[in-house]
Amino acid sequence: MQEKSFAVKSSGFSKNIFSYEDLEFRPAKIKKIVDESLKVKSFYLEHHSKELPVPGQFVMVWLPGYEEVPMSISDAGKSFIRISVSKEGLTTSEFHKLKSGDKLFLRGPFGKGFSTEGKSFLIVGGGYGTAPLIYAAKVISRKNGKLGYLVGAKNKSELLFLKEARRLGEVQVTTEDGSMGHRGIITDLVEPILDKKDFDSVLTCGPERMMYKVVQYCVNRGIQVQASLERYMKCGFGICGSCVLDPIGLRVCVDGPVFDGKLLLKTEFGNRKRDASGSRIAI
Amino acid sequence: MMLEIKLCKLKLRNPTILASGILCNGSLLKRAALEGGAGAVVTKSLTKEIREGYSTPVIIGVEGGLVNAVGLTNPGYENYIAQDLPIAKEGKVPVVVSVAGGKIEEFKEICARAEEAGADAVELNLSCPHVKKHGLDIGADPIAVRKLVKEVDGILKIPLFVKLGLSDNLNKSAIAAQDAGADAIVLINAIRCTVIDIVARKPVLSNVYGGLTGTAIHPIALRCVHELYPKISIPLIGCGGVKDSKTALDFLLAGASAVQIGSAVALRGIGIFREISRGIGHYLKAHGFKNVREIIGVANG
Repeated sequence: MQEKSFAVKSSGFSKNIFSYEDLEFRPAKIKKIVDESLKVKSFYLEHHSKELPVPGQFVMVWLPGYEEVPMSISDAGKSFIRISVSKEGLTTSEFHKLKSGDKLFLRGPFGKGFSTEGKSFLIVGGGYGTAPLIYAAKVISRKNGKLGYLVGAKNKSELLFLKEARRLGEVQVTTEDGSMGHRGIITDLVEPILDKKDFDSVLTCGPERMMYKVVQYCVNRGIQVQASLERYMKCGFGICGSCVLDPIGLRVCVDGPVFDGKLLLKTEFGNRKRDASGSRIAI
Repeated sequence: MMLEIKLCKLKLRNPTILASGILCNGSLLKRAALEGGAGAVVTKSLTKEIREGYSTPVIIGVEGGLVNAVGLTNPGYENYIAQDLPIAKEGKVPVVVSVAGGKIEEFKEICARAEEAGADAVELNLSCPHVKKHGLDIGADPIAVRKLVKEVDGILKIPLFVKLGLSDNLNKSAIAAQDAGADAIVLINAIRCTVIDIVARKPVLSNVYGGLTGTAIHPIALRCVHELYPKISIPLIGCGGVKDSKTALDFLLAGASAVQIGSAVALRGIGIFREISRGIGHYLKAHGFKNVREIIGVANG
């Protein structure tokens, strides 16, 4: 589970060995809540484990009486993990009503995260996609890796983790309405920066169409790119099939959520996904 | 060759079968066959209507197993047969289409379409423990089983498997299914149960009740196979808590011709089918058997 490889080995299967007990919920006390934007709150949850989660891994979070939802880990330390929740539906709206000291119920961390082996990385985050990336950037920075950091959102008020990112280095911002930084979309900045600078790997997360463009740019230039995907998930540990990427049958929950871009281009990434019933629909 | 079995009209390269509701979608069934080494694969249970299933949580771990109440999630049989069945067949092992329904006409409609689309067999899910009037409610009633199986058998050329769950009527329902024309009995399905979180002080599953699978149910499933084997002449397929070659072999010795594997895919990964097949092969060699068929039922009577 903690394996750092992010591509499925061509010869075999991902050997994620769980015990059944690993798949039970455990209560986690909310230590602190921080408003990140009008719609996003971060929850610092009590979590002790010997090894820190790999950036890009996720947890399944259950609020009793409501649903269980997969959440990217947006930061972690020896005694906490942070999740950042956007108020979207009934369950996430209830999350926003919680107070410090309340409990959430966790399974995980699950999945394969970003590889942070290398010297220089470009981070490309759109919208809520910046959640796993800010944690990845911190881990890279701790290992003295060089960072380029591009972040985009619809407008200034939806930009996430800007202060944290600026502590790590220079940050380039795009907003669709021009309320901060470059007016436009983040993919406008990717090609120019790839022309100017060399990176060992590009890490991206955000709307799938955005990621698709980033992956194409990178693969065309022969630059390694890792993208973190979102799919409808039920089990989180690889057996229900809900999060499958056709036609090669990658499971976002255990074979991902972070995949090598070249591998993704052999799938329906950027084009189709499955809905809650398992019907394939256009993205 | 040592591991090859004939199950009804189907030739399986080994007796390990991916159980219904696990991995589910066409491309993952293909992986279970090609990468994982499964001898056959079963689709998720298909219904006439599109079903989103229950809201999460729907699957969790407990000591000794998994508990699920997924709710027969599926895109409807027509969608599944169009988008998933062709790619599942690329795995080049028999593909068994699992069918669930409320009414006899629904079963017939789905089975007929599955056969037409190239399914190698169908499996009637008469054992889902958490959807009312769909699974176990039918399978626990031998009269209903006989009527349904007879109607479905009348329109099918491909083998018809009937998957039954734990109930007081299990043996009677199995015999009723055989008499009505079933070609094999799969037993058992998940056992109805619940889980309560003592900190949340609430049931964990959104549906409250679900089904227990995995290690904990193996001795029960084994008893069911052992008890039914002398009473019946069609092949049995053991399902429940197979996680290694030992738990597959005891099913075979009790009288199962093949085993289905589900929950343990979470524990060991997609390659579990190959691991178990290898283990069975080692056992056969070590004990002087030439073919897996020689051990079926030897621990029975």
